[in-house]
Amino acid sequence: MNDGIVQRFKAKHESLAGIVHLVDGLDSAADRVFSILEEKKAAKVAITELPGEIGHSLEQRCAATGMNFLKPPFNGAELPAEFDSIQVGITWAAFAIAETGSLVEFATDDSFRLVSALPLVHIGVFQAADIIESLSEAAAPIRNFYNENPLNASVSFISGPSRTADIEMRLILGVHGPAETHAIVVN
Amino acid sequence: MTESSHTRLNDKIQQALSRKGIRDALYTAMKRGRDNRNQAVGLLPGGETFRKKVRETKLRCQSKQDELVDRFAEKARQRGASVFLAKDGAEAIAYVLKIAKERNAKIVAKSKSLTSEEIEINAPLEEAGMEVIETDLGELIIQQVHEKPFHLVFPAVHKTVADVAEIFRKATGEEIPNDADEVMKAVRRYVRPYFLNADIGMTGANVGIAELGVIVIETNEGNARLVSSIPDVHVCIMGREKIVETVEDALQMMLAHPISAVGQHLTTYETLMGGRSPLGQGEANSDRGSHLIILDNGRTKMREDPLMQDALNCIRCAACMNICPTYGVVGGHAFGYIYPGPIGIPWTASVHGLEKAGEFAHLCVSCGLCREICPAEIDIPMMISAVKDRYSAIEKHPLVNRALMAAETMAKVGSATAPLSNLFLKNKSFRSQMEKIVGIDQRRQLPPFRRRTLAKRFDTRGASKVSHPVHHVAFFADIYANYNAPELGMAAVELLETRGCKVLMPPQKGCGYPYIGYGDLTQARKVAEENVRSLAFYTQQGYDIVSIEPTAVYCLKISYPKLLDGRQDAIDVANRTYEYFEYLGLLEAEKPDDRRINLTGRRFGFHIPCHQRSLGAGAQAMTYLKRRGAQVEVIETGTCCGMAGTFGLKEGMLGYELSQAVGQPLFDLFKTASIEAIVTESSVCKIQLLEGTGLRVYHPLEIPV
Repeated sequence: MNDGIVQRFKAKHESLAGIVHLVDGLDSAADRVFSILEEKKAAKVAITELPGEIGHSLEQRCAATGMNFLKPPFNGAELPAEFDSIQVGITWAAFAIAETGSLVEFATDDSFRLVSALPLVHIGVFQAADIIESLSEAAAPIRNFYNENPLNASVSFISGPSRTADIEMRLILGVHGPAETHAIVVN
Repeated sequence: MTESSHTRLNDKIQQALSRKGIRDALYTAMKRGRDNRNQAVGLLPGGETFRKKVRETKLRCQSKQDELVDRFAEKARQRGASVFLAKDGAEAIAYVLKIAKERNAKIVAKSKSLTSEEIEINAPLEEAGMEVIETDLGELIIQQVHEKPFHLVFPAVHKTVADVAEIFRKATGEEIPNDADEVMKAVRRYVRPYFLNADIGMTGANVGIAELGVIVIETNEGNARLVSSIPDVHVCIMGREKIVETVEDALQMMLAHPISAVGQHLTTYETLMGGRSPLGQGEANSDRGSHLIILDNGRTKMREDPLMQDALNCIRCAACMNICPTYGVVGGHAFGYIYPGPIGIPWTASVHGLEKAGEFAHLCVSCGLCREICPAEIDIPMMISAVKDRYSAIEKHPLVNRALMAAETMAKVGSATAPLSNLFLKNKSFRSQMEKIVGIDQRRQLPPFRRRTLAKRFDTRGASKVSHPVHHVAFFADIYANYNAPELGMAAVELLETRGCKVLMPPQKGCGYPYIGYGDLTQARKVAEENVRSLAFYTQQGYDIVSIEPTAVYCLKISYPKLLDGRQDAIDVANRTYEYFEYLGLLEAEKPDDRRINLTGRRFGFHIPCHQRSLGAGAQAMTYLKRRGAQVEVIETGTCCGMAGTFGLKEGMLGYELSQAVGQPLFDLFKTASIEAIVTESSVCKIQLLEGTGLRVYHPLEIPV
């Protein structure tokens, strides 16, 4: 793995008020996510489609501690009210961009977007090998994604917490989306 | 004078000037915006060259806009979206009302969309019984108090935290302290139910990607993600000019927009949407739809208007507002209709009518800075000149503007009658009459006229006596060096001669920039025509054109080719035109100066005149001074000194008063700098800085040794 690119992502993402965790392997990723959930004293969390090592592990641990755990497929009839009370959303990013410090998520179901949009805390997980250097390199994976999905599909770039400077130009985090974001980079 | 747009503007400026708190907030916002922008652009590989690339992309996409709109619509439909091509605002509104009725919609949650404001869609939706809520915090604040945005990117920059807290105490009935974080939390609680229960989510689009039939929506707050995902119906209203060809083009715009606006590489959230995705699984999804409304509303006509088509390259970043000297003082309520700021003038003229644009077009002082910061390199000042020009058919140019446009005639008279004319210019009651009748502020110290103009001195002196000249120079003087400072002009000429140049002064008029600035393009073209014809004769014989007045160089290099529709002789003249110190620098590079003056130990503050920023930004003049031992630093606020040619000479709000308000922060910087004098190459900035700072102000060639 190219350490330089990870460090460049980390520096940029942190400059955007995001928190970056570098972990070795999917099991460590699950550990790190769970420790954040505990630290946040989360009572209700949701995940999107995560690699089994993380998803199953989290589900078991959340169940063991009595945490309400939502995973796909989500029942449309209960959305979005069901999601409004999620404290932490955990998603998988298709790739990340070092230059802009962004996580990029693909979805063909809007409920997946809500997992990173509604709660106050968002945790985005991705592989270090999936970090690209510059924004311009994002064109190819985006084009491929839309070619593979000829109907509805969305791509979300997420570069840190929800922010506004609309009151006296002061930076405030979490006005509508997450106030705290974690990027878990899996080596 | 009957009630004119100028009178109304005067009142608005007076109001704006009296609100010190708001002015300070606006100034801080603008300054931070452009400082952050410059810093972020500096980090880009290639720096400012990104603007050139954005322009190329926009021009390519505009050139095949019809085809791209068709391709976008086809692809978007294939993805499951409904696409409606709206001829104007009324059609777009009717379409949305129809959907709303079919859906029995009660709540419309919007994320920020200037295009939806352009067609003023909120009112008809509310009249039809819907509750419409703006979810962007800034937009929400001004919606609550029924105002228009003060700034494109920071709509509520004129409200303090106490104002905002009070607004939301009223809206929510909650006890909210005057604390930004607490206000934010209250807003989150207040808006959340609207996100969850809206029937229609309405957004704009920052970009449309023709290749994919996908839109791009940018926000920092994340509100567009919510309004575009939760409600069953998503409505997007986008201008047709937003459609680009490829994903690569879109990524370029996604970068150019926030970096120009506030210096962010990307907004926090960039949402690309194609078709309408389900929300979870089950039957609840059967009703979900996405409606993309592609708005024309005058855009096709704009494209056919050679003087307005450049506005279609706008990506709505608001950088032109952040750098505009007068906007930075008065804000968007005075300087705007729905579209504010410099680019708002051609846009307003094109989509809301010339009358509306005429109400604020004269706030533009034609400094040209917007052209230098625009990520699409749009020639905004020239479009504004065209708007002023066209508006003059509705309302005649005021006398003072006509007088200043005819500055050369006045200078001729002043010079022919000198020194008597100078006595008059110093006479209080004459100046008071001049202020009352013509509108030139009596407090301005006008430079005295000289009877023996530079042209006359040239005639009596004869051609330069340089044997075996290495270069041939046609000297372009402009008004000041000819009528007011012939010694300076002659010193400049003689210095070129000592460097082996044969110098002559071709027949010429003043550059005529005031015609462009105040908006008489017919006269501007006449002057351009005359000067280009005269100068082209010399360039054809191998002469280079050199001028000591930055605005004159700007005219010859940038304005004339445009005024003369890219004619070859105008381009030839432009290509052969040099700033004085640029030329001298080239000569010194060939052969160093062995008789140089010594400025060791001297400290100067350098002022870059706005028009010079498109040229060498004074770098060559500073090099000239540094080579002679001087310490020179640029002192700048990043915007104009306020003089703006002859604008600051005018009496009243739309002149002297506004000019002082613009200049004050710069005066303060100069006054606190440890320098012995100010150096600038502009003859008019010199007047402003001299009066504003009390410091001595020199042209580089005038510094006493």
